[in-house]
Amino acid sequence: MTRPRSGKSDPAISRLATVNDMTEEILRLESVSKHFPIRSFRRFGEVVHAMDDVSFILGKGEVLALVGESGSGKTTTASVIAQLYPITSGVIRLADPRSPNGFQSVSRKLSGKELLSYRKRVQMIFQDPFGSLNPTHTIEHILSRPYLIHDKVVRENEGEKRKAALKRQLQQLLRSVGLEPPQQFLDKFPHELSGGQRQRVNIARTFSIEPEIVLADEPTSMLDVSIRISIMNMMLAFQEERQMSFLYITHDLAGARYMAQRIVVMYAGMIMEIGTSDEVVQRSAHPYTKLLRSAAPAPEEGLMRKRLITQGDIPSLIHPPSGCRFHPRCPYVMAQCSKTIPPLKEVESGHSIRCFL
Amino acid sequence: MSAMKETLPESILECQDLVAGYELKAGFVRAVDGVSFALKRGEFLGIAGESGCGKTTLAYAVMRLFRDNAKIKSGKILFGGKDITHAPEEEIKKLRWEHISMVFQSAMNALNPVLQIGEQLTDGWLAHKRGEVREAKARALEVLKLVDIPEDRYNAYPHQLSGGMKQRVMIAMALMLQPEVIILDEPTTALDVVVQRTIIEKIQELRKTFRFSVIFITHDLSLLVEISDLLAIMYAGKIVEYGPASEVFYNPVHPYTRGLMASFPTLSGPIVRMGGIEGKPPDLIDPPSGCRFYPRCPDRHDGCDRDTPPLRQVRPGHFAACDGE
Repeated sequence: MTRPRSGKSDPAISRLATVNDMTEEILRLESVSKHFPIRSFRRFGEVVHAMDDVSFILGKGEVLALVGESGSGKTTTASVIAQLYPITSGVIRLADPRSPNGFQSVSRKLSGKELLSYRKRVQMIFQDPFGSLNPTHTIEHILSRPYLIHDKVVRENEGEKRKAALKRQLQQLLRSVGLEPPQQFLDKFPHELSGGQRQRVNIARTFSIEPEIVLADEPTSMLDVSIRISIMNMMLAFQEERQMSFLYITHDLAGARYMAQRIVVMYAGMIMEIGTSDEVVQRSAHPYTKLLRSAAPAPEEGLMRKRLITQGDIPSLIHPPSGCRFHPRCPYVMAQCSKTIPPLKEVESGHSIRCFL
Repeated sequence: MSAMKETLPESILECQDLVAGYELKAGFVRAVDGVSFALKRGEFLGIAGESGCGKTTLAYAVMRLFRDNAKIKSGKILFGGKDITHAPEEEIKKLRWEHISMVFQSAMNALNPVLQIGEQLTDGWLAHKRGEVREAKARALEVLKLVDIPEDRYNAYPHQLSGGMKQRVMIAMALMLQPEVIILDEPTTALDVVVQRTIIEKIQELRKTFRFSVIFITHDLSLLVEISDLLAIMYAGKIVEYGPASEVFYNPVHPYTRGLMASFPTLSGPIVRMGGIEGKPPDLIDPPSGCRFYPRCPDRHDGCDRDTPPLRQVRPGHFAACDGE
């Protein structure tokens, strides 16, 4: 795979750019790949193809959903954008008005200082509300970290002490995520909170420094159905109020449609379909998206819906299938599918699929 | 619920006014509070509710898996017309797996990580003295085939299987002794949608072949209405609505059921901002007087905090514990 020098050299990317020419773009992935080496003597030199040739654009103030099963590479995508690990190839571009060419390109590991300023703008909400809060710290300690690290303590007037200002900000923050009265929550430890409350703390931590881009990695998948919708509504309210850009990762197509303007469907590390939420959900064009759609519960479409059935599991990413990665499970498989990787092609304006059909 | 008692002769499993929960220093947690239902042979009963509504406690009570501070306070559990509420442990042991089996929540933790799955599958068969080790293995291979797991996985350890495969092993285990009733407690919650769908289809297919009854417990109501014959909605230890799945889905009566319906986004139709349900479930040690849902109910009126509404029939076979409308 060749690395494109700029967005224009890759036809797929320039097409994707047209999707969003109404709004300003804030983040762009260009043919990003992430391969993890296997640390085992016997399998020395082999890699896990977690992400291959992933390109998309996130618009300013847009909610983009990344949909796929476990092992599709959606969490890896969020993690490389959050700079949790460096990418193998490709470029991540973050819009930056201070830079001469208008963006900051990232293709290698960032230095400590660069990372700090990058993370001031890009923050992540993790999936597991139980594992992502340090059990030995109080909520006050956990939530004050971002304010201190990113130097976001704002004093209301000259007379206000820094400590008092921080406390005031924390209380305001807790109120904004619906944890009231705030003082009661500040002194608590994570284990004293319910799953939904913990996820609210997690979201509060992410939103505390008002990042421009939020990467939400399945923030509701471990919560009860009745709590999910209120967390989703809360995130949407924040997003709309502050015009943040959201990458919302989920395996639930219906939830993606509810949250996002556009949907990217990933399978085995590659993008399979990309388009507006309604196009992807109502006029799914890729066989994999059709499979996802037919597997999802949708009682509103009648209780005896006909379903698409396929066999098999998500393939090994160490030796991914040749050609289209979905071909071993695809009900419409053709001879060429196992030979060449289909390119992303447009089926209607702004709606592309990686399929020969 | 006199209407339900009429179905007694053909029902395989029945609960009558069951009260069960946990003895704590602070008091008795009425996790299951006056639950009645009747499950017919071959029927699929779905139980839906939030975490902490008592649905898992109900399953454990029916399986008589209570230990330590967990107690059945009052009420009856009937299996095949026989009262097993206080039957001695020896008798219950014969019943478990042989007549009623359970697939536990999170298959990841329900399998013993240091034993091969073959050993875990045959354990119950041998304990029930169904035959020789060789026959046990033959049966285990048979049930693995039923759930589409290749024979060579017989000697695999749980960590060598994917999440979906582990869940299918749990289902195979529940099928080993061909029980009449299988209780599935959130069997697909931790799984992806596609894997979830294959497992559901598998359960339905096996149910048609072997004609066992199923109690399926989950918080995912959208899934439940698609697969159940009967639906019970639980809230704070009580069944608040009960009836044929399509009837409950198309004509929900209880405000809690309607709140749950407004909690999952849909795949088609216009995108509307959903409300969900405000607030959180009550404390079960000291539950609110009257209807337990009234503090969160959008349609509450005077008297809701005073009288506990009984389950009343709103349409044939469809019951709801709300006196509104």
